[in-house]
Amino acid sequence: MSEPILDISGLDISFSTYGQRSQILHDVSMQVGKGERVALIGQSGSGKTVTMRSIIGTLPMPPAAIDRGSIRFEGVELLTLGKRARNRLKGTGISIVLQDPLLSFNPVLSIGRQMDDVVRFADVRLGTSREKSARRHHIFEVLRHVQLADPERICQAYPMMLSGGMRQRVLIAMALLNSPRLLIADEPGTALDVTTQQEILILLNRLVDETGMSLMLITHNLGVVREMADRVYVMERGRIVESGTREEIFSQPKHDYTKNLMRAVPPLYGEGVKNVCNDTDVGPLIQISGLCKDFPLRRGLFNRQYGTNHAVNDVTLTIDSGDVFGIAGESGSGKTTLAKMMLGLFDATRGEITIGKDSLSSIAGTPEFRKLIQIVYQNPGSSLNPKRSVADQLSVPLIFAGFDRAAIPARISQLLELVDLPARYASMYPHELSGGQKQRVAIARALSVDPKIIVLDEPTSALDVLIQNVVIDLLQRLREELNLTFVFISHDLSLMRNFCNRVAIMFRGEICEQGATADVFADPQHPYTRALLGSIPVLTDEEAAQKPTIEASERQAVLSSTTTLN
Amino acid sequence: MSSFSQFDDDRQARSLTSRQMAWYRFSRNPSALVGSAIVLSVFIAAVFAPYIATSPQSAGAHVDFVNRHAPPSWEFLFGTDNVGRDIFSRVVYGYRISLGLVVGVLGVAVPFGVTLGLAAGYFGGRIEFAIMRFTDIMLAIPPLAMALAITAVLSPNLINAMIAITLLWWTWHTRLIYRIVKAQMAEDYVEAAKVAGASHFHIMFRELLPNCVSAISVKISLDAGFVILFGAALSFLGLGVQPPTPDLGTMVSTGAEYLPERWWEALMPGLAILYAILGFNLLGDGLRDMMDVEV
Repeated sequence: MSEPILDISGLDISFSTYGQRSQILHDVSMQVGKGERVALIGQSGSGKTVTMRSIIGTLPMPPAAIDRGSIRFEGVELLTLGKRARNRLKGTGISIVLQDPLLSFNPVLSIGRQMDDVVRFADVRLGTSREKSARRHHIFEVLRHVQLADPERICQAYPMMLSGGMRQRVLIAMALLNSPRLLIADEPGTALDVTTQQEILILLNRLVDETGMSLMLITHNLGVVREMADRVYVMERGRIVESGTREEIFSQPKHDYTKNLMRAVPPLYGEGVKNVCNDTDVGPLIQISGLCKDFPLRRGLFNRQYGTNHAVNDVTLTIDSGDVFGIAGESGSGKTTLAKMMLGLFDATRGEITIGKDSLSSIAGTPEFRKLIQIVYQNPGSSLNPKRSVADQLSVPLIFAGFDRAAIPARISQLLELVDLPARYASMYPHELSGGQKQRVAIARALSVDPKIIVLDEPTSALDVLIQNVVIDLLQRLREELNLTFVFISHDLSLMRNFCNRVAIMFRGEICEQGATADVFADPQHPYTRALLGSIPVLTDEEAAQKPTIEASERQAVLSSTTTLN
Repeated sequence: MSSFSQFDDDRQARSLTSRQMAWYRFSRNPSALVGSAIVLSVFIAAVFAPYIATSPQSAGAHVDFVNRHAPPSWEFLFGTDNVGRDIFSRVVYGYRISLGLVVGVLGVAVPFGVTLGLAAGYFGGRIEFAIMRFTDIMLAIPPLAMALAITAVLSPNLINAMIAITLLWWTWHTRLIYRIVKAQMAEDYVEAAKVAGASHFHIMFRELLPNCVSAISVKISLDAGFVILFGAALSFLGLGVQPPTPDLGTMVSTGAEYLPERWWEALMPGLAILYAILGFNLLGDGLRDMMDVEV
């Protein structure tokens, strides 16, 4: 390894909250070489972000305190460096790309203004100055460097006018404005759709090659790591538990935690793939024919309608009893609208949904309907009321289904047992539970009135990958025990491959492809399906080789551009 | 079960309960501590007025011409007024009136305002339009003019002053709760309750209201001070509590005639008003920091 540009050794960091001191980082040591791409991986709460913030000097102190250790950048100790000298490194020595491309911008200033500020203040820190036109020229150059075609218009635009992919590109350009020697990327592209994420990863790789800068990648996505990193550090509970080259980590992980992480990622192709089938032979349960949902687009002082958003357009599908039916698509594809229509929360503009023998419009809102279909939401932090205890929340569906009040406590214990939670959790409040436990409570609530169908709206996307597996296993067990039918909505196709027996791919409100999961994944017909599958970061070369390929022209036809304003 | 304990992150490590955490934040907050001490002392003064007042008879139509206009001394802590009544004793009894006013006004205005705010935020549409525009109209009326009109039409006494203040006060709670509920409506738990078949009443009062409680308690605490002030202003103008009932506003008003030589007669009740309001405001600020809400 070449002379390290960043050298962290023996770093201990603790936080004091509520008078209690807890150590967050334990003896963390890591190096990033010149021109090297290093990934720091771990679950949420493992200390990745604390490490990153200690490098760039944004740890809030107090409550944080650095107890021991050193962080050296190009041989200079950062922890004892004076404030001015350290400021001088910002953007020029070390730069950072934050996770959320929208939150990272000031919404009321134009992109050009925000970029100009970055250049101007870096100049001030370095004691130089440039003409406005020279700065502008430099900004345009960097924007072209991240493949944004029309820098002039981008500079005039405001953050909300850009798509997520473009914002991420601008954000990267911003980090590169002062040619840093080390770029830290915190979960790049994770907030974006998978096709956009792939473009961002390709861009970052190219930039590292071209500029020779070092890259420190902070992520929880192992697929991303495989495509991006030369060396990997694995972090668990504030400790580096394993490190090595990418090949070492991926081919022979040594630590149990790394192995678990690897195993937890659902495979897209190959032997590890689980095929789910539906053995029951009862026939169709949900029939949807020609379903449309239009939302009027309004604007102006008088809320005048100027157009129509066809959120769901002519969807026809049949879900059999006992199916795990996957509905996949990127954000804005209409999958959640479709799910909400199945629950009777939106009325259809045209078309019909039949559940069992009854048309949905005739039974929606009745207690019988609620005993037929229930939902588990994406984010249990939002779907559980923070001010009500677990028992209170579980009792709501029971009370309104006319359940005998005296029998409710017994039913709640039974439900908690069903989702593997101890009965004492009944008196707890959501903030006392972890993400996985909250999602179990949400599942228990959906099960409380014994529904036949459960709509799962991205039930694991807010959870870490290890917990995701536990929740998926739980759902699979419940499906067998209780003869449930699942409608599984997700953008995570690898998970879908292993969990659903049939899938439908939604694209701009329409279903572009549907069929048995194995068939769709083995031989995707629609170019959009191929683009989606081709963009998923996978763990092994064998899987990567089996991903469908797609021509650039086809890809352009189905995906919106992240490089030009329209 | 084994897989669960192995992988689910162990949030139990945080051994403090939410109550302990709230207390920790409260106890580290000087303004909350000082504020609650002041508010407590005001409540104690009001409740135990007969035992605390050095001369309980001064609370009524008592006359002691020998000691009239006596400056503050050990015998008369805050001095005496124009008919020789002990101002300290009258202040202590005055707190009874002030706190009675606070309880009476907020006891009606808060439930009324909160219910309207919940309804406007939850139902939306025409109901929201009707409630919020009505609230806007009420807010557009100058409060003092409104209070003057009401007490003038009815007759100036404590109850009518209370009615006048109440009629104005609920609007702020409606707007506060409306804003919170609007934000909460975007949370999935509201829709989850609808899917579970919950009634409107249940969603409003069992699901949404608990999420407004911290903001309401902060608002009540801040309000209490302003209600005292408003009540004192009405009495000062002669539209509130009538003599000889010991009211802080009336005392300032009669004492003001003897300024500046006999300064204690207006200043002491004035300081008593300031003390109570300061206490409620500090407490409200402290609670706001502690519960992390915006009011």
